Amino acid sequence: MRTLLLIIMLIGNILAVPFVNSIHPLVLGMPFFLFWLLIWMIITPLLTWWIYAMDQARE
Amino acid sequence: MTALVTTAIVVLLVVFVGFIAGRDKASRSNIEEWSVGGRNFGGLLIWFLIGADVYTAYTFLGLTGYGYSLGAAAFFAVPYVVLAYPIAYYILPRLWEYAARYKLTTLADYARERFQSRTLGVLVALTGIIFLIPYIDLQLSGITGVVAVAGKGSFANPKAVGTIALVISFILVALYTFFSGLRAPAWTSMIKDALVWIIMIIMVITVPFILFGSWGNMYHTAVTQFPKTLTLHPGPHGDFWFMTSALISALALFMWPHASTGALSSRNANNLRKNAVFLPFYNILLFFITFLGIVAYMVLPHLKTPGYSNVILLYLIQHTYHNGVVQGLMYATVALASLVPASIMVLAASNLFATNVLKDWLIPHMSDSARTLTARWFVFVMTFLALLFGVLFPTQLISLQLEGVSGMVQIIPAIGLSLFWRRLSNSAVTIGLIAGIAMVFLNHFVFKLAGYDGFWGLLVNIIVILLLNGLFRREAERNLQTNRLLNEG
Repeated sequence: MRTLLLIIMLIGNILAVPFVNSIHPLVLGMPFFLFWLLIWMIITPLLTWWIYAMDQARE
Repeated sequence: MTALVTTAIVVLLVVFVGFIAGRDKASRSNIEEWSVGGRNFGGLLIWFLIGADVYTAYTFLGLTGYGYSLGAAAFFAVPYVVLAYPIAYYILPRLWEYAARYKLTTLADYARERFQSRTLGVLVALTGIIFLIPYIDLQLSGITGVVAVAGKGSFANPKAVGTIALVISFILVALYTFFSGLRAPAWTSMIKDALVWIIMIIMVITVPFILFGSWGNMYHTAVTQFPKTLTLHPGPHGDFWFMTSALISALALFMWPHASTGALSSRNANNLRKNAVFLPFYNILLFFITFLGIVAYMVLPHLKTPGYSNVILLYLIQHTYHNGVVQGLMYATVALASLVPASIMVLAASNLFATNVLKDWLIPHMSDSARTLTARWFVFVMTFLALLFGVLFPTQLISLQLEGVSGMVQIIPAIGLSLFWRRLSNSAVTIGLIAGIAMVFLNHFVFKLAGYDGFWGLLVNIIVILLLNGLFRREAERNLQTNRLLNEG
């Protein structure tokens, strides 16, 4: 599960880049590429938080 | 002139706090106290200390400079800092456990103990020292920039005044690191970070309103008039470059001697885990700072003066705000963002030199007090080297720093992989490290494959390790049996 979360982070932040490299559709007036990076900037630490919570529960 | 005076007052006040932080003699009594604050820093102080590594002058000036000259490619910094923390989550707490148990203060200490190899320790230390020098220079060149931009009109020759300010700031950094050790940058980084937050939030909110009337209008102007700056284009900074540079920089972030120093000063391993979870939220600001570089491209004249893009943020400040005190506070923030991290860097490099080059290699019988004193005096040597380097090669600094990341990441098998792969052998890692660094330079000067040099270096590094590790199976088994680090806990 934790490995899966790491892979998701890698896909969202790195591997998806060539596919989201576009201005349209605009989201909240922002170009799509920049918006994508911005939401992953929020999703990634949330996933790390999840991993942390799982580790804490295990202890 | 008001701006310049404000800048000077703020900077000197903070430097004064740095000296106060070390007024207790205990802060320089031994190497553990001086270099990692006695490994006694709580979660909040670690937060600021690690934050100090991310929010440096180079981040502000460098990223806005990239945004100005490369457009969307500059946003590689976003996935870079975001991904650095899950990586840190897996590496730092484990590393901290070993370091605390065996009183290790540098990553090179860890490499030496883990592989029972003095040579590998020295190699890791030298990698850190060499690649840090241009980085320290870049930090402090932020100060020259501030004086040159802020002093325009007040001085007959702002460049010369900038050089004088640079020398003075090098001396200040050296003195305060010498006296207070890590406690100086730790406490001053709290003031610096508070200023950074306030100033950056103010800029991010007000710049769009002052220049475009509203946020929506700013994006609208960007999308309709400057669409080229908002996506990646085929070429040297296309999507492959973006992906490889983000990944490699993320892997390299905590391999930097100054970043690991911050981590090892933690009181316990769980603080590090918590910080790895919560620090990334701190980075959201980085996104908007990078966008200010694109804003600068939209509103400022496109001058061809060398070094213009490196200080574009300062010109944007000058263009947007007309109050001297406001400008001064902003310039002071940039100046502090160069002084505080520079101090941590110099400290980390000096500790590497005294511990891993001198004691482990050249003078094995050195006493602990001699080592502490050498490390502290080496601060002056290191600052002098950086100063010399900066004066000799001022124009190559940025490209040297980029190669620095590529070089620095090559120690990740020795530091990160070794935590998880018990049968990783010393010889394979050592050869891999050398091959990786060689590949970085070969790719930069000869092969010129697309993407980030560090990516190709790390690829070669890891392939070499995978191919050779089988040959050194006996060596790995012997290490496994005799190494206290691998057998306890």
